Amino acid sequence: MLKKSKKTNAEPKVSTSPATMVDRTIIGDQIFIEGNIRGEEDLLIEGSVKGSIEMKAHHLTIGSKGKVQAEVHAANVTISGKLEGNINATGRVEITKAADFHGEIKSKSISVEDGAYLKAVIELEREPTQKAVPLGKPETKVSPEPKKEPFILAGKDSKGN
Amino acid sequence: MAAFATDLKQKDLNQHLGLEGYTSNALKLFMEHLDQQPQSRLLDVGPVCQENVRFFASRVSKHYVCDMFIRLDRYIRKGEPVSQIWKELDYHPESFDGILVWELADRLDEQDVNRLVTLCHSMLKPGGMAVVMVMGDQIASSETKSFVVGQNYRIYLRPQPHLDLPLRGRQNRDVLSMMVPFIPAKSFICRPGFMEFLFQRE
Repeated sequence: MLKKSKKTNAEPKVSTSPATMVDRTIIGDQIFIEGNIRGEEDLLIEGSVKGSIEMKAHHLTIGSKGKVQAEVHAANVTISGKLEGNINATGRVEITKAADFHGEIKSKSISVEDGAYLKAVIELEREPTQKAVPLGKPETKVSPEPKKEPFILAGKDSKGN
Repeated sequence: MAAFATDLKQKDLNQHLGLEGYTSNALKLFMEHLDQQPQSRLLDVGPVCQENVRFFASRVSKHYVCDMFIRLDRYIRKGEPVSQIWKELDYHPESFDGILVWELADRLDEQDVNRLVTLCHSMLKPGGMAVVMVMGDQIASSETKSFVVGQNYRIYLRPQPHLDLPLRGRQNRDVLSMMVPFIPAKSFICRPGFMEFLFQRE
């Protein structure tokens, strides 16, 4: 069943949108949709969806009963159900411990709860990194607290670098 | 700020467990190796963990997550043969510059350990590295813990109560023996019996 709902602060887990009251569509747990979904408001899926979901400025939530097999483009995505497919999010992807996700995630940031069932490839927007020091250097200076640090039991300089 | 708060929380937890966090030299060397690889690809088979996903995904080009601990737990709970879990690691040969194995071997019998090692060897690129941990009798327990990476390669252990896995404690020599297809690059003692190993594929 498709429903319209008003999201309020009483449902903080549904959306991380800064708005306190935003229209949201719900795809109920008795609904199966095959095809492409495009939207200009937040969407909660508790049913089954197969295809693609495009809502680039809004928040997609896959509820605990949701089963989705789709390519997803959204601002933010929250997964508490099952999702197979790739996510391209301009904002944040949130994966709860109830989630079962298989696919690729490209996003600005991510949060994952312990216990989430994942098989994923994750690509985040990367910060510039410092140039690495080659392997094989003595690691005695690694520790800021030498007395508490592990020591080398057996060492062999690695090859290939 | 959030990361700092997490560090503090984990520190309290580890002190409660009688285990302070420690600085992982193996992980530091491992990440230095990855930093040198163009378009680096890392596979983490450890328990899914927010801090680690953020840490590794921000450091490598592609961060692959396939939690073999939770898969092992589900297979055991369902009474299915553990040997079936290896189909989950269906990545192409020579896909990765590094693999985080953590202490997965301590949860497997000899036959499955051999399968794990063979797969890791196959999935690593030549010169690729794998991190393996051995918990030791003093720290190991049947309760599964994740190795949570904090700032400056500090690692804390966090219990994973949703996982109920067998423990088959291995000694250092067992690890060196099981990883025989690899070159042992480095090893570090963190606490008595608790060791980190860095292995490299030729």
